[in-house]
Amino acid sequence: MTEPVGEPVGGPATTTDPRHHVSEYFRLERWEIPPPPGSEEPSEFGGRAPVDAHLRGSGGGLRIGGILTSVDSLGGILSGISVRPQWIVTTSMMATVARLEHRGPLRLHGRVLRRGRSSVVSALDVVDEGWDDRSVAAVVMTCAVLDPGAMDLDFVRPLSLPMPPLDPDAAAPEEFFCIAAGRGPVTRLELSDRLRNPWGILHGGAVAMLADVAACRAVESARFPGEGGPVAAADTVLHYLSPVKVGPVEARCQVLGHRFDHRVVRVAIHDVGAGDRLCSLASVTVLAV
Amino acid sequence: MALAGYPPARHILSDIGVHIEVTSPTTAAVRLRATPHIAGADGGVRAGVLAVLVDILGGAVALRAVLPDWMATADLSLQLVGSATGPFVEARGAVLRKGRTTLVIEAQVANVDEHGVEVVGEDGTSGPVALATMTFAVLPGRAETSMLDVSDEFPVRSALLGDGLDRPVVETLAFRVSDAASGTVTLPVDEYLANSFGAVQGGVVALHADVATVAALEAAGDAAPGSVMVDGLQVAYLAQGRVGPIVSATTVLAPVAADGPGSAVVELIDSGSDGRLTTVVNVAARSVGPGSAHVRASAGASPADGRG
Repeated sequence: MTEPVGEPVGGPATTTDPRHHVSEYFRLERWEIPPPPGSEEPSEFGGRAPVDAHLRGSGGGLRIGGILTSVDSLGGILSGISVRPQWIVTTSMMATVARLEHRGPLRLHGRVLRRGRSSVVSALDVVDEGWDDRSVAAVVMTCAVLDPGAMDLDFVRPLSLPMPPLDPDAAAPEEFFCIAAGRGPVTRLELSDRLRNPWGILHGGAVAMLADVAACRAVESARFPGEGGPVAAADTVLHYLSPVKVGPVEARCQVLGHRFDHRVVRVAIHDVGAGDRLCSLASVTVLAV
Repeated sequence: MALAGYPPARHILSDIGVHIEVTSPTTAAVRLRATPHIAGADGGVRAGVLAVLVDILGGAVALRAVLPDWMATADLSLQLVGSATGPFVEARGAVLRKGRTTLVIEAQVANVDEHGVEVVGEDGTSGPVALATMTFAVLPGRAETSMLDVSDEFPVRSALLGDGLDRPVVETLAFRVSDAASGTVTLPVDEYLANSFGAVQGGVVALHADVATVAALEAAGDAAPGSVMVDGLQVAYLAQGRVGPIVSATTVLAPVAADGPGSAVVELIDSGSDGRLTTVVNVAARSVGPGSAHVRASAGASPADGRG
């Protein structure tokens, strides 16, 4: 689920507002691209995220869980602003990954494809600005339109959020996202308050990161004897079925097949503390790298 | 359960030939025979045709789940995990979530025999050959829905069986590659490939993206002709393609390497409806070497060479 943005626009990045922890972790810069004067089309949005050393996965670039977190953050603002005074929650993301190795920074661009009464569909492209703008990923994101209630949605337009500074003590993704160490087909995440969005539920990016880590661990455990080497998650389809409210959260994986150099993993994400409710379903392609 | 007058006597779904079994209020299975006319470069049923199968399955489940309302496919994803070599291929699906405005369905596709029993592959393994998900938008009920014959005794079995395909499905549907490098493929619209709204059937839309991607990636990279196959489709349906011809524009994100994956984004435009963008499809593909079983659209073929 995507975070609404409620801070004074253009103000300094903060590390105390829980609404910004997740996007700040990936140091995502965001800017609004207004439509031409007189156009009724919604704004487009740009974004830029460095590929910091502690965020690189075994594919050599920003791991897909990180890319999807940034996409969720940018696409959430893009979609939310397009339906103001209402707001949105993410209901699905479908990502095709072109390349796993990145120099960075990555540049994102988002545009609304369709605005309806109950949903917004947007397309987000990710390119490697440090590598001649070659394609990294293409994502289609769908959001449900909701009444924001008392949520503060005042913005200075056009919206601009600068890149947060690098934290030299930043934790690795598993630690930041409270993903327990382990191996095998089940991976657990503890629901820390910093991982909640303003709706009070687990951030969609955290779900994406959990799916990424869990799928890779499941494949590593399912390989044949002697079949070693690192793996990395790539193409991902993620459906947010219901919000994660309680925790802990379990990602239960089923490795479905082995085809060429990749395996496809079904990842069912359950809110254990909420009656073990199925909250998200992902399919993740895991590549040998 | 059938909608009066749909599909018409001659229709792509009947010519592919599908057996539908609704097994409960929230589950169903749909089966077709794997034939060379619907095969891809690996010899198995190509991803775009599997999308047709999955879309039928989703419709069979969703239609019953949303009554008396109606539904339309909002998105569809399909990821191949094996070759759909048959002899039959069956999609089995269930409702994952039913909300006020959307319905999410998950499906798995397996190689089966004519009775729906899973078969063991040449490598000695069985299991799914594809994983799929679909989201349906719930729409206000239509007059036709009140005419539906809905049984509450399961299983409910039906079949769409026509004359069969006498040539490759991409020729039958009259896909025409007008510019391979840009993945420009045109598709005329008529009732042969229509859904119950009179627009292009959702699975055929996915097949269009499959055909366009194969054309673009074979033109863009070092892959041998007939060697590229699609193994992942992520389809976002934005508007119905009603007028036509539907024209694709393909952006190659990464060309296929010798045995490595490639990817592309395909946009489908209804050229007869003010150039309206109807669909965006993210596609993953790879080269599997020269494919004798590969079936491609014939470049430069006239639509008149297809169905008529």
